[in-house]
Amino acid sequence: MTAPARPTRRTTTPVPHRAASTVLTLVVPAVLLLAATAVAFAWRDRLPDPVASHWGPDGVDGTSSFAGLLAVLPAVGVPFAVLAWAIAVFAGRSALTRRFAAGLAVWVAGFAAALTLAMLAAQLDLPEAADAGDIGGGMALAFAVPLALAALAAWVTPGDAALPATAPVPASAARLPLPDGEVATWVRRIDWVHPGVVVAICAAFAAVMGLTTRTWWFAAVLFAFLATLVGGLSSWTVTVDARGLVARARLPRPRVVVPLAEVEHAEVVQVSPLREFGGWGLRMGIDGRVGVVLRGGEGLQVTRTGGRRVVVTVDDSATGAALLNTLAARTRA
Amino acid sequence: MLFRIDPSAPEPIYAQIAAQVRSAAARGEVGAGERLPAARDLAESLQVNLHTVLRAYQDLRDAGLIELRRGRGAVVSAGAGRDLTPLTDAVAAVAATARRLGVPPDTTLALVREALR
Repeated sequence: MTAPARPTRRTTTPVPHRAASTVLTLVVPAVLLLAATAVAFAWRDRLPDPVASHWGPDGVDGTSSFAGLLAVLPAVGVPFAVLAWAIAVFAGRSALTRRFAAGLAVWVAGFAAALTLAMLAAQLDLPEAADAGDIGGGMALAFAVPLALAALAAWVTPGDAALPATAPVPASAARLPLPDGEVATWVRRIDWVHPGVVVAICAAFAAVMGLTTRTWWFAAVLFAFLATLVGGLSSWTVTVDARGLVARARLPRPRVVVPLAEVEHAEVVQVSPLREFGGWGLRMGIDGRVGVVLRGGEGLQVTRTGGRRVVVTVDDSATGAALLNTLAARTRA
Repeated sequence: MLFRIDPSAPEPIYAQIAAQVRSAAARGEVGAGERLPAARDLAESLQVNLHTVLRAYQDLRDAGLIELRRGRGAVVSAGAGRDLTPLTDAVAAVAATARRLGVPPDTTLALVREALR
């Protein structure tokens, strides 16, 4: 081999975009929390003392001091922001991980800030906390507006720069006999559970929320939201072809893409969802892997340039891995 | 499932695609109710024309191997184990013979109907 010397230890590649990740996971959440605190202080003279802090089906059923209510903001927002920052800065080699971390930090801080303001706005200029009316609308807004902010944060998170592999695909990596000139595609669909089960789970959860809050429009919106999110991410299609590996759910985003040029090698691995990924779904492993983990057992693992790895739990992964190795080797011949 | 096509082979590409689905079903790799890739996705993936994949899917539907449902795409049908290819081949032979002998379609259909009694 006459290939030039190159760094062989993948872990020497630094995690990219640390500054942007810090801004999105720490600075933006801090600004949201501080802004909510500032607005709350501006309202202080117009609020009852103590302030209403908890609502039941029949209205206010709990109160708190003004300072006690505001203390919830950093208590909720800061730990999540720090956790998200750590994920992005230490394990954020894949754009997907950094986007997830930014979205998580921004949503939690935004939700805490918006919910606090919604609660306080409902009792402005009232003599008694108990006079505060229903806050269902405020709660729904407090839930939805930060979602938009989180999606925006995930969207502005810098993506992965193109990082083509330079080394040949190792000879030890499994191949598929594919004559030159033949075009091949490997497609598999993976379902988490039957779609009917997904709908039933979402309906049951929304029904419980409807019964406890007696706000049925809220339950309906919640059902629509959950069914879209859980249903949209419970069925995935994995494709290996001349473009590389793509795993897509019913929703257009998020998706997992590994361009063929960035494939170092692919292999079959055994996946333990709880131990390695802490659960099922689109996951970030404790070792920095990105996983589409819908069941335990065999999975297709792709080692990608930049010290990144992607795992998809899918049947017949041996064929997918062999085809990916074969196609990658073809382009580097 | 794995799709492999050879653009330089004499067999038309749509027939190659249909043959891959047939053999996958015969080997039990795709079962009843399973969805085949969306035609547009498969065409992009194999770098072939969309109509090539649609033609393959239509052939498979005519053979009773898959059902084409609006919004759900191509689904392997319950009777997929029963390959109707011999029948569609025989029908094609009837059509070709009728054309060669100049027998009008109505007469041909009447003959087929008579034979089915």
